[in-house]
Amino acid sequence: MEAVSDTDVQFWMAKAMIWGEDLSCSALLDTSRHLCSLRSFLQQVLQGLQQMSSTSEAMKTFPFVGQFLGRLCWNPCVIADERSQRLLLRCLSCLYSAEPLNAVEQKANMWIKDMLCHLISEEEGSVAHTTVKHAGVTPKRYHSEALQKVVSLMTEEVIKSCDGLPNTARCLNGNIHTMSTACVALVTCLEMSPLIGALLKHSVLCGCSCLNQEFIKEINEALISKRLVLEDEAVVNLWCYSPTCLEGAAVSFLESVLSGHETMTQSLDKHVNDSLLPRASAHHCHIFLTVNEIYRNVLTEIDENLAVRALIQVFTACFLQRLTGQKPQDRLPLRAFFPNVTPCLLTPLLTAPSEVPREAWLDHLSWIRSLLQSVTENEEAGEDGRAYQAVFEAWFLLVQCGYWVDTAAELLVLAAPENAEPLLWLLTFFHHPTNRGHQRSQQTAVAREAWTHLRMLKPHFAFIFINFTVFSHGPVSIITEITDKVLTEAAVKRRALWILALIRCRLNSAATRDDRVYSRLRTLQDTLL
Amino acid sequence: MEAVLRHLTNILELLAVSQTDHVSEWDRHTTLRAFQWAEYCEQLHSRFQCNPAVRSALESALSDTNQRLQQALPSCSPVMFSELAQCQHMLLIHLLTNPSAPNSVIPILFPDPKTAAQDSQFDQNSLITCKSAFNLLCRTSDRTSYAGLHVEAVVRGKLLGNLLNSVLSRTGNDEYARTLLDSILHDSAGKPESLYDVIAAALLSPDDETNSVVPHFILAWLQEQDGCLSKLCKSLSPGLCTVISRQSREFKQAYWGVLKQWASCLEFDVLEGLWVPTSDEPVTFIILTDRFKELLNSGPPLKEETETELKTLKREAGDFNVKGICIWTDVIIQLKL
Repeated sequence: MEAVSDTDVQFWMAKAMIWGEDLSCSALLDTSRHLCSLRSFLQQVLQGLQQMSSTSEAMKTFPFVGQFLGRLCWNPCVIADERSQRLLLRCLSCLYSAEPLNAVEQKANMWIKDMLCHLISEEEGSVAHTTVKHAGVTPKRYHSEALQKVVSLMTEEVIKSCDGLPNTARCLNGNIHTMSTACVALVTCLEMSPLIGALLKHSVLCGCSCLNQEFIKEINEALISKRLVLEDEAVVNLWCYSPTCLEGAAVSFLESVLSGHETMTQSLDKHVNDSLLPRASAHHCHIFLTVNEIYRNVLTEIDENLAVRALIQVFTACFLQRLTGQKPQDRLPLRAFFPNVTPCLLTPLLTAPSEVPREAWLDHLSWIRSLLQSVTENEEAGEDGRAYQAVFEAWFLLVQCGYWVDTAAELLVLAAPENAEPLLWLLTFFHHPTNRGHQRSQQTAVAREAWTHLRMLKPHFAFIFINFTVFSHGPVSIITEITDKVLTEAAVKRRALWILALIRCRLNSAATRDDRVYSRLRTLQDTLL
Repeated sequence: MEAVLRHLTNILELLAVSQTDHVSEWDRHTTLRAFQWAEYCEQLHSRFQCNPAVRSALESALSDTNQRLQQALPSCSPVMFSELAQCQHMLLIHLLTNPSAPNSVIPILFPDPKTAAQDSQFDQNSLITCKSAFNLLCRTSDRTSYAGLHVEAVVRGKLLGNLLNSVLSRTGNDEYARTLLDSILHDSAGKPESLYDVIAAALLSPDDETNSVVPHFILAWLQEQDGCLSKLCKSLSPGLCTVISRQSREFKQAYWGVLKQWASCLEFDVLEGLWVPTSDEPVTFIILTDRFKELLNSGPPLKEETETELKTLKREAGDFNVKGICIWTDVIIQLKL
């Protein structure tokens, strides 16, 4: 079986020859553009070599390999890329024979030793060789310091090249693109981070977009796969410069929240702050709007969106905290961050419950309710989509400021009957923002009844719980959750089953059979048995 | 101390053997032991590099052992104290370049990157990465924006400056610092021009101009080497020499000294009506005047100082105003001062 195709071999041999040791700008550009696919090809070559039983067989099967690897080993751009370097060394390792059986293998060994020598040392007689030899430190330390120095010199150059005024028409240093191209292979190298930070900062300060696209892509991928750690400011600059990177970061963060264990609210706010999204959003309005847009779309597209709602709530809370921490003169008005919402809603909702005295919560919530009610009444009055949009925006703001919904639920437990109405209205609106068919008043009445019963029947908690589970419209998965968490004790289980039996009797004698309720009942019964 | 000297001798013997065909007897165990000794040796260097008393004891032990080994194994090269910092690296290179080294040894020294620990003794990945990254960045920074020097020379010069600074910061190390510079010069005998660039960068290097220890030292050393300062000045561009002169009074004086010496090698050819070189020094009248032109273009205070110096030289040589008698007169006329 051919591990590597002939066309590929031809292509890459040609590339290796063109690149040679030449480091003209165009050769460098071409090399960095191909690094990713080169790595795949090297992986294929490595796999092919690993299947060989001897070096002689390898040289016969892959006659190009000596020249190919040799050329790549002399190309600093390829060698500087850590992943390519490892692949090359592993290939060389495959071709080395610990016990060479013939002249071909002996020659291969000598060639490999030469190559290794070249990789770790300098050409004899060169100033490089001399200065390293007498440096009084190991070559590894010398080159690490040399790299740090050249990075610091280049960083200074980058900082000086832009005069600091945003959107200047011409970049003073045409070398920025070349530098970023050289950095494509070096993105994960620790010593490089000051230069990377400076290049990103430059790209934001200067109007021109002269950073190499491969460079941006490499940084983004390395960040997401955690092969690279950048200063916070550099990450934010990256997002400012590249909307694609921002979207990638927002989506990958969402995925990590949905799939990970940190969905408990306790550590969720730390997790959210660590993502740097709140900080970036507070400093750059467009970042906030983009992130919001993404999460909003996800919210409206998936059914089981409790996690997304929680994330939106926590994200907004962290963002608001950051915002209040800014200096007043730097702060944009809130309207800038929430452009589509009826402005009068902003103040009551964006003020956190922690900023309002507990005694005033009820009044505050009544205020919110009356504002929201007037928005919904406009929707009912008007036929056009704009009014509907206003309701959606208001609802979304409520999701963002979900801490008020939590507060309403909390107050509801202890509220006097006459105070419950606004709270119930809010909860109903939160779960059913649309009022098609004017169901809201009906739903509120139902909610009120249920709540009243709940309060009166606290001792009969299991009974109430079962009824809610059976008759509610919530997702069926709630049933298993409830049985797992609430109906755990055997005695309680038995009582629950009795209650179900009673309900079943009642249903059987009803005029019409409600299949939905029936199936829920059956499900609950099955899980309890 | 006795033990230390004994160990040092052991290392040198190991290094010597690794260059001969006796190395074919080495097995895995011997190889690993050799590297352990080499590592110990590096620690010795780092501890005593700036300690004149101990270092000189070690240096004389080295010298004795070198002599002894040279007689027994003429092919092996003597080892200097400064090279002990890279003992493991030297050993590795010897094993890679010695055809008699056993084939089984190399895989030990270059373990499979996938399985080897990142910071294992034999991890060469970070060296290779840093070295090639440095090369890559130096080559792509093609603008000579550092006083006309290439960025590679600037970095190497700064590192050299740092090394000298740390050595000279402790008393009693002047001789050692001189030996370092001597070795570097000796090893670059083939191509000194790149070295001159590095030295120029080292002269410019202290970022705080209050620290003149290193430039002073380097300059003194240059003047001790026969003709070295002149060769250096010739190799460096007029612009670069001017920049260094602006930064260092000492260099300025030394540079003027070199220019005067060059001037003294020129004679007036009456038939041609030109100043022509008399010796092997490839200095022409044009070259000389270009140098002064650059100094004069640099702005205050160097401009004024140079003018004054030229006028003084002319006056001291007889204050002639006619061409062809005193070179300084002709220089001044040429430069339209």
